[in-house]
Amino acid sequence: MEGLEITSSLPAVEVQNLKKMYSSVTALDGVTFQVGEGEIFGLIGPNGAGKTTCLRIVATLIKPTSGSVKIFGRDVVTQDVEVRKIISYLPEEAGAYRNFSGREYLEFIASFYAVGDEEKRKMTEEAFKVTGLNERLRDRVGTYSKGMIRRLLIARALAVRPKLAILDEPTGGVDVVHAFHIRNIIKDYADRYGVSVLLSSHNMLEVEYLCQRIALIDSGHIIAQGSPSELKAKYGSQNLEEVFMRATSHE
Amino acid sequence: MNSLLTLFWKELRELLRDRKTLFGIIIVPLILYPLMGAGINISQTSAQQAAAKATIAVIDLESSPESQNLTVFLALNAKVELLQYQSVSDALPNLDEGNYSVLIVIPQGYGQNLSQGLQASLKVYALFKDLSIAETGKGTTISALLTVYEQVLVIQKVQELLKNSPDTNATTILNPVQVTYSSAFRGKAVDVDPAQLLSATISQSLSFPLIVMLMLIFAMQIAATSIALEKEEKTLETLLTLPMGRLTILTGKLAGSVALAGISAVAYLVGFSYYIGSVTGLSGLSTISQADLQALGLAPSPATYALIGLIIFITVISSLALAVCLAVFADNVRSAQSLVGILFVPIIMPAMILMFADISILPIYLQWILLALPYTHTLLAVKAVFIGDVSVILRSVAYISVFTVIVLYLAAKIFTSERVITGRLFARRLRSRS
Repeated sequence: MEGLEITSSLPAVEVQNLKKMYSSVTALDGVTFQVGEGEIFGLIGPNGAGKTTCLRIVATLIKPTSGSVKIFGRDVVTQDVEVRKIISYLPEEAGAYRNFSGREYLEFIASFYAVGDEEKRKMTEEAFKVTGLNERLRDRVGTYSKGMIRRLLIARALAVRPKLAILDEPTGGVDVVHAFHIRNIIKDYADRYGVSVLLSSHNMLEVEYLCQRIALIDSGHIIAQGSPSELKAKYGSQNLEEVFMRATSHE
Repeated sequence: MNSLLTLFWKELRELLRDRKTLFGIIIVPLILYPLMGAGINISQTSAQQAAAKATIAVIDLESSPESQNLTVFLALNAKVELLQYQSVSDALPNLDEGNYSVLIVIPQGYGQNLSQGLQASLKVYALFKDLSIAETGKGTTISALLTVYEQVLVIQKVQELLKNSPDTNATTILNPVQVTYSSAFRGKAVDVDPAQLLSATISQSLSFPLIVMLMLIFAMQIAATSIALEKEEKTLETLLTLPMGRLTILTGKLAGSVALAGISAVAYLVGFSYYIGSVTGLSGLSTISQADLQALGLAPSPATYALIGLIIFITVISSLALAVCLAVFADNVRSAQSLVGILFVPIIMPAMILMFADISILPIYLQWILLALPYTHTLLAVKAVFIGDVSVILRSVAYISVFTVIVLYLAAKIFTSERVITGRLFARRLRSRS
């Protein structure tokens, strides 16, 4: 990948007092958190809490109303093209070109990140393996199940070896088998290649398994953050579900 | 540049593999128009063949030298069968069987009236079988023959009357003035019949607006589809976070749509010219020579075609950019195409009006409305290129270019903003995206 000369002392993600308004609706109101390099960080919250908006801003898709977001020291608004060189983003509801085969799709994505044919070949070979779809990669994406598409997309997001992977509900809507496979891929990339991950999820077990630290978000505010064990201790809870219910005063 | 090229190829592959797009923009024009042409061609040719084989039935109720003279004249020029019926009512029920096109009845008194210098009468029945368009020629063949025959009789009669004035020619009495028709255009004249010249230029002025109109409509649909497909298939967000600028994405999309619109236009031209060729080849109109068109300054040169190409290119870019601006606000292909449908009105209206009328003869308010529409200028510029009107070319090209720059700027603005993600038309309540 291009532009990887990054000082390791910089946090992977640095969100400062982030505010986002859609017309009169406040989606994010003063959100602040950091993700360290090589860390898997989870944003946890109910529907409409502001998770997707936050991830979209980090991924340079939409602009903040105020506040700042830096990815390895680069500003998502003023240096968006630079930021896009070191991130990859998996939206919650994402598809792949249905008239492309799985292989063609992965090759298409790799050609934006790889420098030279050799790197592109390596990247796509790796992506082919990561999908676990084997022979089905020759078939058109239009014939894939939801779980297969999600695996294809996870592979394309991680095999390009981004410095930061932004994954919105990475296992959303897929069955147990595919979800298991996807979680292992994410963990593997973070452990082996030091890829930093910012993800959102509804699945508390998944979050506990994957994330070193989490932030609980509700109505556009971060209400608590820390490691799963810290939060459980702080709220005197057995699991993250209880932590969340107590932190949001639903209990 | 690499990203742009990758995106361009992706656009082409994605859209060409989309069966609906492929069918609409390439297969239909390539197959439908030639099929229509072939259909008309086959039916017309068979009608002509049937007419050529058809027989003229004659019932001679008088059998005088004059009536036999007429039958011999007809037999020299067509296939004639003399039938032995005593009345029309006897004959008609039996004529459905044979391949007869007309029945001529020579009544009693025909020869007598002619010889006495009185008006003689003939009765001609066109024998219709199914009242289809193919039968329209039935009456005309015989009426042409009878006109010639009548002319011969007139000349014979006049010559008979002029027996005592050997210096006078019967033909000059019948046609005292000989008129020849030529055409002049912008101070240059050629010996070409005005009807022929018009038929040549009218086919140009009819087909060009039509082709430009179709091409713009298709280009717009392609561009709208290209954006809307990304939204419908949920691939847009991923595309927008790939390591390239938004303007590169916009340019790649426009380039892909231009290429496809070009392919589609070629398919249309091929299909349509085959169709027009099939239809006009049958009309029997002699075509005007290229040399005559050149003498009038109406023959298109390679430079003319290049200029037309440029004008159409600028127009297509503006229409694509407009379509992109609108498609951003649609959620799926269907709603994008409906939205873009709004833009067809300012394209179709000038094309339809200018196909049949010159803008200068229209009411002044309509002229102003038309001149405000950028697509009018494309048509005016194309027409002006053909007749070499430099001032109109410059004015129209300038107008379209300015419009194109504005629309491109707008498209770039929309595409680089977050509207491309959050844009929804008719969204009553804005909801948080989380």
